Amino acid sequence: MFNKKSISIICLSLFSLLIVQCKKKSHDEDLNSGDSFDKEAMLANYADNIIFPAYTNFKYAVDSLDKTTDNFVKDPTPINLQALQVFFVKAYIRYQSVSTFELGPADGELFRSSANIFPCDTTKINSKISIGNFDLSTVSDIDAKGFPALDFLLFNSKQNSTIILSRFTTAGNAENAKKYLSTVVAELKHKSDVIYNGWSATGGNYIATFKNNLGSSVGSSLGLMINQFNLNFENLKNARVGIPLGKKSLGIIYPNKVEAFYSGQSFAMALEQIKSIEDVYLGRGANGIDGLGFEDYLIALKTEHPSGQLSDVIKAKISAIKQELLKFQGGVFSEMITQDPAQFENLYQQIFQLTVLIKVDMPSAFGVMITYEDNDGD
Amino acid sequence: MTVTNTIKKILSYTEQTVSIAPLSMFRILFGAMMLASILRFAWKGWIYKLYIKPVFYFSYYGFEWVKPLGDPGMYIIFAVMGIAALFVMLGLFYRFSAIVFFLTFTYVELIDKTNYLNHYYFVSIISFLLILLPAGNYFSMDVLRRPSKRTTHIPRLFILVLQLQLGLVYFYAGVAKLNPDWLFEAMPLRIWLPAHTDLPIIGPMMDKVWIAYFFSWFGAIYDLTIPFLLLGKKTRGFAYFCVVVFHVMTFLLFQIGMFPFIMIICTLIFFPEPFHQRMIASIQKVTGRFKRTSSTAIDKMYIFDPLVRKGLMTIILVHFTLQLLIPFRYVLYPGKLFWTEQGFRFSWRVMLMEKAGKAFFYVRDPATGRSGETMMDNDLTVNQEKMMGTQPDMILQYAHYLKKKYQAQGIANPEIRVECYVTLNGSGSRLFIDKTVDLAKQEDSFKNKNWILPFEK
Repeated sequence: MFNKKSISIICLSLFSLLIVQCKKKSHDEDLNSGDSFDKEAMLANYADNIIFPAYTNFKYAVDSLDKTTDNFVKDPTPINLQALQVFFVKAYIRYQSVSTFELGPADGELFRSSANIFPCDTTKINSKISIGNFDLSTVSDIDAKGFPALDFLLFNSKQNSTIILSRFTTAGNAENAKKYLSTVVAELKHKSDVIYNGWSATGGNYIATFKNNLGSSVGSSLGLMINQFNLNFENLKNARVGIPLGKKSLGIIYPNKVEAFYSGQSFAMALEQIKSIEDVYLGRGANGIDGLGFEDYLIALKTEHPSGQLSDVIKAKISAIKQELLKFQGGVFSEMITQDPAQFENLYQQIFQLTVLIKVDMPSAFGVMITYEDNDGD
Repeated sequence: MTVTNTIKKILSYTEQTVSIAPLSMFRILFGAMMLASILRFAWKGWIYKLYIKPVFYFSYYGFEWVKPLGDPGMYIIFAVMGIAALFVMLGLFYRFSAIVFFLTFTYVELIDKTNYLNHYYFVSIISFLLILLPAGNYFSMDVLRRPSKRTTHIPRLFILVLQLQLGLVYFYAGVAKLNPDWLFEAMPLRIWLPAHTDLPIIGPMMDKVWIAYFFSWFGAIYDLTIPFLLLGKKTRGFAYFCVVVFHVMTFLLFQIGMFPFIMIICTLIFFPEPFHQRMIASIQKVTGRFKRTSSTAIDKMYIFDPLVRKGLMTIILVHFTLQLLIPFRYVLYPGKLFWTEQGFRFSWRVMLMEKAGKAFFYVRDPATGRSGETMMDNDLTVNQEKMMGTQPDMILQYAHYLKKKYQAQGIANPEIRVECYVTLNGSGSRLFIDKTVDLAKQEDSFKNKNWILPFEK
């Protein structure tokens, strides 16, 4: 009873396959999803030209910060403080271009949450200094260390370096303050060394692991890159801009919650952050050469968006954010927010729109799941 | 009358006496698969991640009373489920174990619709059907304990029930593929396949458009025809080869866990007695025991109490009527099904769309006129947030949760709005929900959600 049916079904299947084959020929031009895009080369470009150089630069910057800290602790003079402040800002700026790469060695060190949780808890820092508690290893210490803690210790009085200096010289617990400062810097240096060595071909060689971890599943290099790219960008949207602007607090502004509040370097940090985001998106290396990146992958996939090719739409949006940000060049974010938060509205809207593009459209085009944990689908 | 004749024919077909061996093997393999699935689930840490860690759970409409049991409650539930699966496999206290497995498994599935998968729904249904079937009466510990329970032959009905359920799953999955996106755009495979160019051998072909069309059409034809090919004596071998190839491919290409293997195992029910007897014999060779429980020396027919039979037939009839109708409930809703997802679940719509979204919630206090984005980072897991981003009923549930949260913070009548962007099959992100609608005032129901914006190409 089934034989006739089965045979006809098999014939039908074969016939349909033929149709498909014909379809292919007639539609080839307009439906082709792109020439083979070399994802392996993209990962290699990310590893060799973007991520590893960024960590190398970061390591050097932290090494210098460490040396100047040593000098300052041994000899807390105004000149040494000034040097320390300069190298602190340099290292903090360098941090902005590694903050995306919380994968592999950095993920192992939980680097983002130990290096840059802001605002820092000044009460906690002061009390730790006064009682001489230099343990920074527990979860509750994340807002008492890293760059935000240094920002507070080295810049807590805007104009007056004498006041800053007095904490380390004349204050009753000056020795504790110096030790606390050294401990915070030492932890940063330790972690930056571990991460650098983890990536290095002569160390943990994660650079090879990264390049060989192909595919688009949750734990693949591409999956990790996309997810971290988004997580990091959401920090720009929320922590760096949204929260100070009162976006999450029914419009009540928190100017003191900006990044690098005490040093007043929020603008430099944000600009470096968006430049880094642009570099990652374009695949542009530290040497300025534009290699394979997310943009090229999107171009190859020919992904459409209601307002044009997705690759162009994202590029234009990043560029718009940069332009908008440059309007605030030379300004101090916290002061400008206090004066007129509305002037940041357009910047925030542009960032908001990019969030949707990189969190919804881009991963969907790549067939990458936005999730930080493995799970089944159907 | 030909209709009554047909019904008579069907009835007498269901009453034909067949060997119990396929049913018995099905029990063993299904139990083993379930045990493996549960161990894998636990080993991956998902009991904690999915059922203990979240602070909020998206319950099913009408099942809001189903709550997780926390730690250690959830671990105990999974342990009980695992033991039940093991007992089903061994055929120990079979019916009781089948009931326990069905209840624990279904309970867990009902906790959070974030984790809805067609294959979990499938497992719930199969384990429900297994309660009704005498799968523990042959080659089982129960027979070892009480040899009088041993049965060698059963009415064909008991095998047909499982075959029909499996066939229905495939056929409906095939029907669901008969849509323009799937057939004429090769969506979503055209998005998914190019992500696999790094696979060995087949990898380099994965970003060719014709491959996406080939897979789409092959998938549709496969799903629509496989139940029939598995039934035919001559086509069965070829069909099973297709089953293995198809599911192994889906395993390689997509992150779908144990499902392919469960289907590969379950479809063995289409094979006749000798095949299953051979399997049983080889198991015996390994274990060297249980001979008594399976020998076919003395035939013993399953005794069907007329009253039980009537009850069973009623349950089966109701079950399959529902199974036939439920997947079509979507016609009662306006709009594009894949976009609104009204009537989407429980319909064997598997791997049909690439959909991604992100929802931003806003709260407004009408008393002060103040408004802003809500903080939701800590209340949902990444997975929950992702799943909610494309599903209107979940968005509404979360809006109600936020409403309660803000009420607790002293805002008497918070207005909750959502700005949600969704992309469907490469359409590019667009607004999904009417962002002017105060979701705090919307009630969930089976009625059409008129605040879902229409999908425009």
